[in-house]
Amino acid sequence: MKFSVNWLREFVELPSRVEELAELLTLAGIETEGIEKRGANFDKVVVAQITASSPHPNADRLSVCQVDDGSGQTRQIVCGAKNYKVGDKVPLALPGAVLASNLKIKASKLRGVESEGMLCSGKELALSEESDGLLILAPEAKIGAPIGSLFPEDAIMDVEITPNRGDLLSHFGLAREIAALGGSSRCDDRGRRSAPSLPLESKGGGSVRISAPRDCPFYSARRIENVTVGPSPNWLRAKLESIGQRSINNIVDITNFVMLEMGQPLHAFDADKLTGGINVRSAQEGETFLALDGKTYSLGADDLVIADDARTVGIAGVMGGEDTGVTEGTRNILLESAYFRPGSVRRTARRLSLPSDSSYRFERGVDPAMILPASQRATELIRELAAGSPSPETVTAGELPAPPRDISLRYARCDRLIGLPVPRERVDQILTGFGLKQAHHGEKETSWNIPSYRSDLQREPDLIEEVVRVFGIDHVPVSDRSRFTPSRDADRIHDLETELRFKLKALGLNEARTSKLIPRNSPAFNEDAIALRNPLSEDHVALRPSLIGGLLDVLERNIRAGAESVAVFELGRVFVPPEGKERRRLAFVFWGRTNTEVHWKAQKRTFDFFDAKGAIEEVIGRKLSFRRSQHRNLALAAEIWTEDQIRDHIGLAGQLTASLTSKIGATGGVFVAEVNPDFPIGPISSERTFREFGKFPAVTRDIAMIVPEALTHEEILNEVFRVNEPLLERVDFFDLFSGKNAASLGAGKKSLAYTLTYRDKNRTLTNDEIAVVHAKIRERLQRELGVELRE
Amino acid sequence: VSHELEQLRDAALADSAAATDEQTLETTRVRYLGRAGTISAWADRMKSLSKEERPIVGRLLNEARTAVAEAIQQNAERLRRAKETSELATIDISLPGTAAELGTLHPLTQMLDRGIGIFRRMGFALAEGPDVETEWHCFDALNTAPDHPARNEQDTFFLPDGRVLRTHTSTVQIRTMESARPPIRVIAPGAAYRRDEVDATHSAQFHQIEGLYVDEGVSVADLKGTLEFFLRELFGPDSQVRFRPHYFPFTEPSFEIDVKSTALKGGEKWLEVCGCGMVHPAVFEEVNKRRKDEAYDPEKWSGFAFGLGMDRLAMILFGIPDIRMFAQNDLRFLRQFA
Repeated sequence: MKFSVNWLREFVELPSRVEELAELLTLAGIETEGIEKRGANFDKVVVAQITASSPHPNADRLSVCQVDDGSGQTRQIVCGAKNYKVGDKVPLALPGAVLASNLKIKASKLRGVESEGMLCSGKELALSEESDGLLILAPEAKIGAPIGSLFPEDAIMDVEITPNRGDLLSHFGLAREIAALGGSSRCDDRGRRSAPSLPLESKGGGSVRISAPRDCPFYSARRIENVTVGPSPNWLRAKLESIGQRSINNIVDITNFVMLEMGQPLHAFDADKLTGGINVRSAQEGETFLALDGKTYSLGADDLVIADDARTVGIAGVMGGEDTGVTEGTRNILLESAYFRPGSVRRTARRLSLPSDSSYRFERGVDPAMILPASQRATELIRELAAGSPSPETVTAGELPAPPRDISLRYARCDRLIGLPVPRERVDQILTGFGLKQAHHGEKETSWNIPSYRSDLQREPDLIEEVVRVFGIDHVPVSDRSRFTPSRDADRIHDLETELRFKLKALGLNEARTSKLIPRNSPAFNEDAIALRNPLSEDHVALRPSLIGGLLDVLERNIRAGAESVAVFELGRVFVPPEGKERRRLAFVFWGRTNTEVHWKAQKRTFDFFDAKGAIEEVIGRKLSFRRSQHRNLALAAEIWTEDQIRDHIGLAGQLTASLTSKIGATGGVFVAEVNPDFPIGPISSERTFREFGKFPAVTRDIAMIVPEALTHEEILNEVFRVNEPLLERVDFFDLFSGKNAASLGAGKKSLAYTLTYRDKNRTLTNDEIAVVHAKIRERLQRELGVELRE
Repeated sequence: VSHELEQLRDAALADSAAATDEQTLETTRVRYLGRAGTISAWADRMKSLSKEERPIVGRLLNEARTAVAEAIQQNAERLRRAKETSELATIDISLPGTAAELGTLHPLTQMLDRGIGIFRRMGFALAEGPDVETEWHCFDALNTAPDHPARNEQDTFFLPDGRVLRTHTSTVQIRTMESARPPIRVIAPGAAYRRDEVDATHSAQFHQIEGLYVDEGVSVADLKGTLEFFLRELFGPDSQVRFRPHYFPFTEPSFEIDVKSTALKGGEKWLEVCGCGMVHPAVFEEVNKRRKDEAYDPEKWSGFAFGLGMDRLAMILFGIPDIRMFAQNDLRFLRQFA
């Protein structure tokens, strides 16, 4: 909310510098987000009226004006602006004036014509940033008056009021808080004074009825007759406009003014447009209502409305009706001041997406003790400024909500929660400063009466907070006590994730972190994603079911940016349709050259399927099997299986289809993979244990073979191990000769070569022994797979 | 005889020292020590010597043989070194190194890890919870009833089934207390979501480290000590830390923390980095109701909670101008944080 410092000063003494006030509030939890200085306080700048204007004889762009500056003599001023007419009142800088940006004014000749001063724009008086000609003043501005009287200096503070402090949403309320924070003397409570000439009588029943007492415990209405609706006087307009409120007419302005001053929203009905009495009731389901903003709203039984005998005339606490609003022709008004239950107003305002200054305050709870004084103050002003004749009584219904419950504060508890003993007298003094009264004073504990405007104070810690705010958290010492904490599952997961990330980094991959919210037109791999019910933009409409889609966006962006090599991974959560189960996934995208930087010795090659496969094998750390599969987005697709997980595969790897590849703007193959890293959780496992390494030398023998293209490496390997030879330590694949290059082998054939390593852990093997074992394996391959062995 | 042998030895040593390549040296070796070499020939001449002369000449011969063999070996080593050195001398060692390129970790990951590392030194364990949450965990349990003005449904993403994307990681406070008894000392790094216009400082998804410490006698002083320590570790020992009272429904008293450090860009300004406070007793009571016990008796236990905006911290620390860069993953951006 915006506050005028001059307005606050009417209630409370303030520090001389507004920055000091802002600091005081900010450090007390009322954050000042901005300060804007206003006003024009310039010596020798006065209100002048242009009495005549003629073209400059020697310059097309200039005019020669005759102005009345109130001195009785006409002045001649040369002027370059065009936005005025004769009769306008404008600021006149007399010789000797010093304007904004240190512009000094003196009498001089401009192109041969005498000019005794300067007519000013808003910019020259630091009233606006831009200049669009002379600043035209209000017609009632007094000729000869110093300009400062029209634009008194002020500072406008933009203050963030937290949702618990509805009591600060008025100038009086903030002033009261400033006084309590110890920055100044007591706050002038004149807002609650009632003029003796205007007896405040309230009469129950009669023309006001409450049919929904839960949502509206109290309602008051006062009739004011024979009002003259018209523009507001200058002071009122200036006050409202200074804090960004538009002036509408005197009646509406007065209700807004009282709200901004005292915090109680008011509403004025055109009484002649009401039929019969007021009834505060729930809306009828499906009823429609034309509000003051010109829009029609559909209401439900949950919404509280103000109705007359014929129809709904206002959405309680939110907005009045178009039909019963105050207009130029209004003669008699009915002034509403009420208490609506915060939850009810909030629900309606949110459901209708119709927040208003009024609902904003009712939602946060208004001060019940201010309802009638605010009505009274508005009535006085209407009598004064709109010549209205108030009815002697205010008609009321219901009862004012009870004041907040007393709260006990245990001094020891306060010390313990703050971590520092605060003297009791200081605690009492602080709370008393906030308007709390001791209901029962004890040695260890004091019970406090809470003022009606502090409904946010509900429990002991709320009082402790008030103590901290004033006492100052700067005075609270720092403590460094710690606690030994056993690790949790999340620690183990985090450590495994970190290890995985570092392994991938060591492999030369770059980590990406893409948004878990995916766009409407996201590419492949995001089918069936769970859509949000209320997305805000096309960029974030659903929860990602896979990481690959996001990584393909990353690829596309980097290709557009000129990248020649993209190798990225992401480790993060996905939301598995249809329930949105959250699962950890690790995904990769490989495209382009294998080296990011031009590397003078490096082999030049591009990424292929085996780069993706290799990365997965390297980091998953378990034996994996890649099996041919089908996928709509992949030209080459493989499911990834582990030996120990027989129910389902743990991931997918492959090469994008050509159409998808070109959609991304990539040339050459794009290789993707996604796996479930499936961290083992539980007690410390002993996956890493020492194994004795062979002390006796190993012997290696190679096998080269010609096989049909369709026979896989995995099948060959399985066959080799099926021999179950204890001396066979490992098998390494080292050569492949296939495709066009292998035409000499015959159609549909390829050549593979392996090194087999034999070792015994207790002795050195002899050539004869190895020959026997090796022959057994060779024979098995020949017999079972029909391979053609090469010598 | 001995004179003759000495002459031969000296000639051999001189030849060996004069050799400028391994080939010549080998020829020298063969000439003197080879099977038909001139020194070797003396072994035959020994036979023709007298009994008295034989041991004397034999010793001289052995000495000469050893001396020449050693000299040849030393010279061979010298020649090898010279050759090696001159070969390697042609390499331009200013050419670039050729280590395999390392990849990079995302700057947010690095930021989170730094934060986690500091809290772990202070004895915090990790906790986690789902991104998709019930409204109860996100609001009600955190003292933000349906009609509460701070329950900002406008800024909350909903799923068709009524669940929400958590608007803060404070949900993990509830998740942790539901499943574990006090004392609790955890941090929870994770994503949160806000339905808000996206610009240079706001994104739909952002990252926080949530913290919760519940124990007997936890006070504002503990909260202050913990977070001041954290921020000084992060921003340097000379940074200034300021606590400002604030409002959150689930903590009372509540604070926001500002940091000022000359080590940072824009270091003359207070930068808001954290919201925190003492756990509201209503939160403990709501957890107890759910647990159906009195594990979190607010008379016995107190606690503090905090939420640190990690995107913002990373932007401050790394001088990143736009929050959207984190999700764009431009390699020119990522590789700056290698």
